[in-house]
Amino acid sequence: MSSDRTYDVIIVGGGHAGSEAAAAAARLGARTLLITPDLARVGQMSCNPAIGGIAKGVVAREVDALGGIMGRATDAARIQFRMLNRSKGPAVWSPRAQCDRELYPFGVRRALDEVPGLFLHEDMVTGLLMQDGRVTGVRTGGGEFRAEAVVVTAGTFLRGRIHIGSDASVGAGRVGEAPSVELAQELEARGLEIARFKTGTPPRIDGRSVDFTRTERQDGDPQDFRFSSYVRESIPEQRPCWITWTGEGLREVVERNLDRSALFGGEISGRGPRYCPSIEDKIVRFPDAARHQVFLEPEGLESTELYVNGLSTSLPAEVQVEFLHTVPGLERVEVTRVGYAIEYDYFPPHQLRHTLEVRAFPGLYFAGQINGTTGYEEAAGQGLMAGANAALRVLGRSPFVLERDEAYIGVLIDDLITKGTDEPYRLFTSRAEFRLLLRQDNASRRLGPRAREIGLLTERQNEALEILEERDLRVQRWFVETVIEPADANPLLGQCGSSPVRQPVRASELLKRPEVPASGLAHAGGAMFDPSTDTDAVAAVEIEIKYEGYVRREAERARSLRRQADFELPDDLPYEDLLSISSEAREKMARVRPSTLAQAGRIPGVSPADLQSLILEVRRWRRKEACFT
Amino acid sequence: MTDEASSRLPELAVDTIAALATSPGVGAIALVRMSGPEAFEVLRALTPGEDDPAPRTATLRSLTKGEGGDLLDRALVTSFPRPESYTGEDMVEISCHGGWLVPRMILDACVATGARLAEPGEFTRRAVLHGKMDLVQAEAVLDLIEGRSKAQHDAALFQVERGLSRRIGELREQLVTVEAYLAHHIDFPEEDEAPVTVDRVADAADALRDALEELLETAPEGELLREGAVTVLAGPPNSGKSSLYNALLGEERAIVTDIPGTTRDALEAVISIGGFPFRLVDTAGLRDSDDQVEELGVEVARRYLDRADLVLFCVESQADLGSAELEFLTGLGDVPTVLLRTKVDLTPRDRVSGPLTSEGLAAEGLDDGHRVNAADVRESVDLSVVDGTGLGRLKEILPELVYGGLVRTGTSVPALTRARQSEAVQKARDQVVAFIEALEEGTPVAVASALLRPAETALEELLGLISTDEILDRVFREFCIGK
Ligand SMILES: Cc1cc2nc3c(=O)[nH]c(=O)nc-3n(C[C@H](O)[C@H](O)[C@H](O)COP(=O)(O)OP(=O)(O)OC[C@H]3O[C@@H](n4cnc5c(N)ncnc54)[C@H](O)[C@@H]3O)c2cc1C
Ligand SMILES: Nc1nc2c(ncn2[C@@H]2O[C@H](COP(=O)(O)OP(=O)(O)OP(=O)(O)O)[C@@H](O)[C@H]2O)c(=O)[nH]1
Ligand SMILES: [Mg+2]
Repeated sequence: MSSDRTYDVIIVGGGHAGSEAAAAAARLGARTLLITPDLARVGQMSCNPAIGGIAKGVVAREVDALGGIMGRATDAARIQFRMLNRSKGPAVWSPRAQCDRELYPFGVRRALDEVPGLFLHEDMVTGLLMQDGRVTGVRTGGGEFRAEAVVVTAGTFLRGRIHIGSDASVGAGRVGEAPSVELAQELEARGLEIARFKTGTPPRIDGRSVDFTRTERQDGDPQDFRFSSYVRESIPEQRPCWITWTGEGLREVVERNLDRSALFGGEISGRGPRYCPSIEDKIVRFPDAARHQVFLEPEGLESTELYVNGLSTSLPAEVQVEFLHTVPGLERVEVTRVGYAIEYDYFPPHQLRHTLEVRAFPGLYFAGQINGTTGYEEAAGQGLMAGANAALRVLGRSPFVLERDEAYIGVLIDDLITKGTDEPYRLFTSRAEFRLLLRQDNASRRLGPRAREIGLLTERQNEALEILEERDLRVQRWFVETVIEPADANPLLGQCGSSPVRQPVRASELLKRPEVPASGLAHAGGAMFDPSTDTDAVAAVEIEIKYEGYVRREAERARSLRRQADFELPDDLPYEDLLSISSEAREKMARVRPSTLAQAGRIPGVSPADLQSLILEVRRWRRKEACFT
Repeated sequence: MTDEASSRLPELAVDTIAALATSPGVGAIALVRMSGPEAFEVLRALTPGEDDPAPRTATLRSLTKGEGGDLLDRALVTSFPRPESYTGEDMVEISCHGGWLVPRMILDACVATGARLAEPGEFTRRAVLHGKMDLVQAEAVLDLIEGRSKAQHDAALFQVERGLSRRIGELREQLVTVEAYLAHHIDFPEEDEAPVTVDRVADAADALRDALEELLETAPEGELLREGAVTVLAGPPNSGKSSLYNALLGEERAIVTDIPGTTRDALEAVISIGGFPFRLVDTAGLRDSDDQVEELGVEVARRYLDRADLVLFCVESQADLGSAELEFLTGLGDVPTVLLRTKVDLTPRDRVSGPLTSEGLAAEGLDDGHRVNAADVRESVDLSVVDGTGLGRLKEILPELVYGGLVRTGTSVPALTRARQSEAVQKARDQVVAFIEALEEGTPVAVASALLRPAETALEELLGLISTDEILDRVFREFCIGK
């Protein structure tokens, strides 16, 4: 905090969205203040200490490629790494890392402290300062702070309420932390639409009380994989996870106590995520499933605590103990923290622009869980984009928006704004129509140049990006230019069950055979690079050469959609009056206010016939406007 | 889109349209209808001083040309407030006296007070625009109006009732299921005993391909159902073609004489046989002639034969099949042909001989069996228009020959009746086949799955639908997710 209490950008909240927002804004050159009630908990992992997974892993790498913090912090904290979907080809590889609960926030804090122009302040924001409908700053318990742009990233804290069983509930943003009530009330009073979601977390147990002989051990991949393309953190040693299964005993306990669950007893009004159901949900909705998988995941290098992944619950504490004791290996387990459900306010995201600015209040930005998402990566991606746009606005520069064919972050934000969400939103690869383009291996290639151009990268990151680009090119060229002799190729081909060659043949030709891996070719052809360290570059050629036709077609499809996106829709189009459009489409478009024709087409309930009429209406409207002005 | 292109787009549905819904000039009663935001205003202008009729209730009203104007007619007026109307807009229907004059005057009065004349098909187009029906239904409405046979009527009505739309919707559902399996396979690798193997995806894709192909098989017959099967009467001069043409039509349309070379230009008529539409064409007798007009007639006949769906080849029963006839049959290639031995009343029974079908021709060893085999002679019928021999038999076999599939399944099945429809289904099928082949080649499912989106788009465009995120919904419904 400086004496005049005036900044360019203020970030409210120091979670995953807030940290990235603060760092991005400051990196762009905005004087930035991050306000959060407990500076010791910046970057804290509220739930499972794991980063990545399907689609989310790509987002973590995208955040890194854009100069963000998440990738580095994960590398420095990861205690078990696995590449999910490894057997399904590099197009859908998804890195996932179990992190040390202490090391991760430590890494976030260290990264924040490195950013010049970024200031931290411990306090709770209670309201916004506004003038003529524009944001001018925030109010806290300790006074007022001024800024032209404010990014709110309050997570699960807005009127948060925790439930443990059907009769114990308490206002909280996370266990042991006060909820943010005034800020929620004020935003609602200003006319923003507000709604409620819920989510839950499983119990934690003491690893010393687990009988691991009754579980299955799952080790991490012995790989030097890194989320960060630019910064090489040193990686901690790995820890195993353990797998066990629920059975009849657990079903019986849960069924007998269903009426004591906060989620089932009707105490909670909001909707929860279907992909992350409580154990109560699983038992009720899938009565035929004989058993459910449970992962015991380490919470830290030094900690003996384990996270019981798969048993999220809002049953009372004693029931949790009872059902845990029915699970093989957990017969005598000690519970260290009980599971709970939490419900909280969020703002239905159709109220935002693609920059994450609130339509109604210029200068106010929302990011993270308060936009209806769930997950650290989703929060981080939004935070970075909101922080960057807040800074760009203050600096008088044009906004930064990622399209659906550029990044999962683009898919995420466009989905939120265009389609809205009626359950906590998380990313999946099936949400992206161009998943062959949006891969983890090419995150820095896709987004690095954009970040550099805008000024989101530090000097050091810029240099690293240049080296990477050079290396990508070299690997690519090697495959296209290298000719391999039959004597070198045939042993490899034999191993892969591929027919031998008689003539010298180009590496890229052999790579086109589905069964022949790029790394094997690199060895056979005596490449100068090491496929086990240049994993990204090798994975990239693996898909871009092997499935060239597919990638090209997808890129073409993306381009043709872009052309459609070029047809801009005026912000102040009076949708209510466009009678040639069906009333359902009129209503939906008035709510979302799409900025392009392509976006309008993605709104559920808008038909191609509506789009055709929309084009005509816009033309007519423009002509009419032109007459009046 | 250029402005030139947009000027060719239909007018915006912001104005009110009016049209005469019944044929002009005929009938005791005619129907004038209006649709659009001004429809009730226009009605008020025609019925000054009167209350609005109660919705959906036929009400007697005096129609005048505006305040103090002359009385046009006393008519039954019904109003349909939106959205519960055919078009989804405010609509008015006026049942007035028929003939040339009254409907015309009422229509003029509507136009004079704020409506404009509708384009052909515009009411239905507005119904689509307002989500009252999908594109396939709208097409069926046109078929229903233009229908000329029972089978076409049944098929069109079935589609108006969403029969085909539902089938296409089901196919799209099936496609979404395949994509849901893929989504589960890719997006939830760590779930309880992942239930979706690549084999399961491939099986679902195979079933989808089969279902698409089954629907595609209806396209040839379905399209014929709309147009009528082109059925060409051909054969040597004087063989009785025109006589048969008249007999099938039930009226003396073609000139019949005993002079060979009577028919010159081709005659065409759509008739319904066994409920199915046939576009019957009488042509000039085939022979080399010095007469220039007859020569041209033969030329026309050949052109019809090129696009024939069925040929009725007429040869007098007392004449033997000569090499000229056999050559002609061979020249038809694979067009299904019925050999008609005409004028059997003139020929003693035991002298009517000769081969029945391609196989028969070959077996008899008449001429070069090889070449005749190339023709597709399905049946042979002995015929007389004088005593009616064979006519019943001919009418019996014709529907079976052209519409065999529909005869067996009945016409209340989803059938593709337009090129637009079969092209879209074909595209979806091709993409699904490409997907299956990619899997067989060992392409990872995550890559191959890129082939399915265009298939989905093709089916959605067919219905004029939009893509929504149903895949994940399906995953969550069918699988227990939640690591
Ligand atoms: C119980 C629970 C279970 C969860 N389960 C899952 C799960 O299963 N899967 C999953 O992917 N995600 C889960 N999450 C979600 C995940 O934790 C969040 O998605 C992620 O942390 C959101 O990041 P954020 O930055 O938006 O908010 P948070 O990480 O919640 O950070 C919000 C920050 O804002 C601060 N703040 C709040 N109000 C104010 C104020 N008025 N003034 C100043 N600062 C304020 C808070 O102190 C905090 O630092 C769970 C979260 C909880 C709490
Ligand atoms: N007895 C008898 N005479 C028939 C029959 N069908 C046709 N004829 C006669 O055969 C003659 C020729 O009949 P058309 O129908 O004009 O023959 P066509 O094949 O149309 O002749 P072109 O137009 O000249 O090629 C007429 O005199 C008919 O009356 C039949 O079934 N029985
Ligand atoms: Mg004739």
